[in-house]
Amino acid sequence: MIWLTWRQHRKQAFYTLLGLAALAALLVPIGLSMRNTFSDLGLADCARQLADANVTAATRDTCDAGFRRFGNRYGSLNLVAVLLITLPALVGLFWGAPLVAREVEHGTHRFVWTQGVGRTRWALVKFGLVGGAVVVLAALYGLGMSWWVDPLTKAAHEGRLGMIVFDLQGIVPIGYTLFAVALGVFAGTVWKRMLPAMGITLAGYVGVRAAVEILARPRYQSARTQTFPIEGDGPPEVSRGRVSSGVNGTSSWTACTVSAPRRRSAVASTFPTSRSPCRIGNAK
Amino acid sequence: MDMVLEADRLGKRYGSTWALRDCSLHLPAGRIAALVGPNGAGKSTLLHLAVGLLKPDAGAVRVFGRSPYGDTQGLADIGFVAQDTPLYRDFTAAELVFAGGKLNRRWDAALARTRLAQLGIPPDRPVGKLSGGQRAQVALALALAKQPRLLLLDEPVASLDPLARREFLQSLMGSVADSGTTVLLSSHLLADLERVCDYLIVLNAAQVQLAGAVDDLVAAHRQLVGPRHDGGVIGGVAAVVRASHTDRQSTLLVRTDGPVTDPAWTVRDVSLEDVVLAYLADGAVQTSHSEWGVAA
Repeated sequence: MIWLTWRQHRKQAFYTLLGLAALAALLVPIGLSMRNTFSDLGLADCARQLADANVTAATRDTCDAGFRRFGNRYGSLNLVAVLLITLPALVGLFWGAPLVAREVEHGTHRFVWTQGVGRTRWALVKFGLVGGAVVVLAALYGLGMSWWVDPLTKAAHEGRLGMIVFDLQGIVPIGYTLFAVALGVFAGTVWKRMLPAMGITLAGYVGVRAAVEILARPRYQSARTQTFPIEGDGPPEVSRGRVSSGVNGTSSWTACTVSAPRRRSAVASTFPTSRSPCRIGNAK
Repeated sequence: MDMVLEADRLGKRYGSTWALRDCSLHLPAGRIAALVGPNGAGKSTLLHLAVGLLKPDAGAVRVFGRSPYGDTQGLADIGFVAQDTPLYRDFTAAELVFAGGKLNRRWDAALARTRLAQLGIPPDRPVGKLSGGQRAQVALALALAKQPRLLLLDEPVASLDPLARREFLQSLMGSVADSGTTVLLSSHLLADLERVCDYLIVLNAAQVQLAGAVDDLVAAHRQLVGPRHDGGVIGGVAAVVRASHTDRQSTLLVRTDGPVTDPAWTVRDVSLEDVVLAYLADGAVQTSHSEWGVAA
């Protein structure tokens, strides 16, 4: 069964890897030059310094100029990033939708489901292997993307949770790719023909993505800023959000700002003292 | 007698149309059975139910006493060659034999290879590029390599030319003759199967019209020619299957339950084809009349 799955999908796997390799060949040089420029312009230091509240006006101007130059040169890549969001949908279209639909459309389900292994095992092995391969690919893709978009995100003064960049990196592509594949398998099982299944997968994926983006995300709980004094050495008790306290032993009390996790929250970290006694867990 | 396939008021519905309805039949072991009926009569549906690809909507089907739907263990005993012999077209014959070994616990790869070698089928060409006859032979070899106790073939020769038909059936008979495998072949043409089968099931308009051993069926039917018949009882006749009349004369195809001794009737023996056609013609006309909404 494993051999059969490999034999059936090896060509597809080859083209997928080829596609990913081509993508890597295109993006890695861009990413490298982007990173070089980023460090040549000294933007890494800038990002750190600008986070500080009492940064000098001169530094701010230099840094802003640097970010502008970087933005002029690489800002258009944000459009490429938008295109990259569609990759999970493609995986769903070409790996998920034909998985069952192609067998039924070609009639080969009548051959393979009447062999001794039975169709339950067929489904388990097939979905398991294809799902596993997709997870590995998506993880690679997510890691690569995290590396690639990092300078762009910093230059745009956006955090990990910024629009679009959130959907590109880390475990998010894995989740969306698995979702697209599962949707494809479902559509292929219900509609039994490849083309309609692919169309429905695409429509369903775009629909769900748009619904999350437009309807759900704006309604996530908004950031809460709480300011309160800290007394003593121990960390304050906070019901939401994590506070890792770095309270200086000598100061009697100092204020600390905590923000609850939120996407696209642009909470300014307002620290009352230059020593920043608190680091905030899930804010930028 | 040992029954291989039993159906008890079996029914399968697609939407609101019954593809098979109230189908009751028993297939004894060791028979080569022909399942004959026009296109759309429910032959494929019956075979798919028997191999567990479909779930019955009514009644029950049992193969070797087990319900085949969802029964993985029972699948090992059933060889199935589906209509148009679907195979992975980009696989070579050798790869298909190898895949079969991976998909079945009991698998005689040597048997499949020997068969395919004897038939001159190239092992390294994608089966999609083989001729229809060769592809059918590959599918048959794969089904036989399972060493099934019941072999189901759905229209195995429909897409083959007459020569390939004969070769296919000959090689099929050669390979099941010794093993005692029960075979059920379907076709819309009796002529295809008449020479090889010893048991006959006639399916028409979703129902079993006739089932039995070929010799019994031929022995139990007679053609009577005599004066115009108006539906009265004739001695020795159990049922009139089909009647055609002219002004003065009637020709009846009847099922007998004894010798017809009435001197008014000339009794003739019938061929298997006469019997089958009589049963098929009957069903087809009834459905069509009711569907068009006109009186029969």
